Amino acid sequence: MSKDAIVIERIFDAPIEDIWKMWTQPEYFQKWYGPKGFTIPVAEINLSVGGKRRICMASPDGNMKMWTTGEHLEISSTERLVYTESMSDEEGNILSPAEMGMPEGYPVKTEITVSLESLGEGTKMVLTHAGLPADSPGASGWNQAFDKLEEYLNK
Amino acid sequence: MIMANYNDDQLSQIFSALAHSTRRAILARLAEGEATVNELAEPFDMSLPAISKHIKVLERAGLIIQGQKAQYRPCTIDVTPLQEISSWTEQYRHIWERSFDRMDDYINQLNTKEKKDE
Repeated sequence: MSKDAIVIERIFDAPIEDIWKMWTQPEYFQKWYGPKGFTIPVAEINLSVGGKRRICMASPDGNMKMWTTGEHLEISSTERLVYTESMSDEEGNILSPAEMGMPEGYPVKTEITVSLESLGEGTKMVLTHAGLPADSPGASGWNQAFDKLEEYLNK
Repeated sequence: MIMANYNDDQLSQIFSALAHSTRRAILARLAEGEATVNELAEPFDMSLPAISKHIKVLERAGLIIQGQKAQYRPCTIDVTPLQEISSWTEQYRHIWERSFDRMDDYINQLNTKEKKDE
């Protein structure tokens, strides 16, 4: 894996248990994941080490669907979640980035680490997405998703 | 967040799907009528999974529709994306038409010259 990584730090006005739930329970993950306007029609999160993930992200007009798959590497409730993410087809077969029309050097497998720290009423979250350059479109995707998460928590 | 193709417009996806001779050959075959994956694979010295991958790429670009019946899943061509390419090309038509005009002018000049020489 390359040294590239997106690192984003956020403080949410919600207890750590809630943020953990937002990341690990499909029905909550679907509420905020994806860039602004995008929806998550499918989210399967098998929350065990080695357990698979299968996520579908749909564009705002619903015309474009992108599937990703991955595997959980580390689960320390409610503080640390590590999983891999790769582009895949609907059945969860990994697709090569070239096949998806991605630029050369785009990694087949990326790794996401979520670290949560309780601040009492609030929670500090550090997201590290290893394998993607800090200034790649994926970074703004994450930021938009966290804006959505914040909005959802404030409802 | 992995965001494949989301920054890409649909046209890029169509062009990238067409940027492979095997996939163009698959489309050409489907232009003659529907075919199963097995039938599509026949002319190629390629494994079935490899062909399936190419079909998936064409499917994602909207160029192929694959039937849902489990055993027999015929593929059919969908030309809508090709129409999009055609309308994209249209914006440059005036350029080649202009060169045809110039050719007309040149031929006319030649004809006039010949008549004079007669």
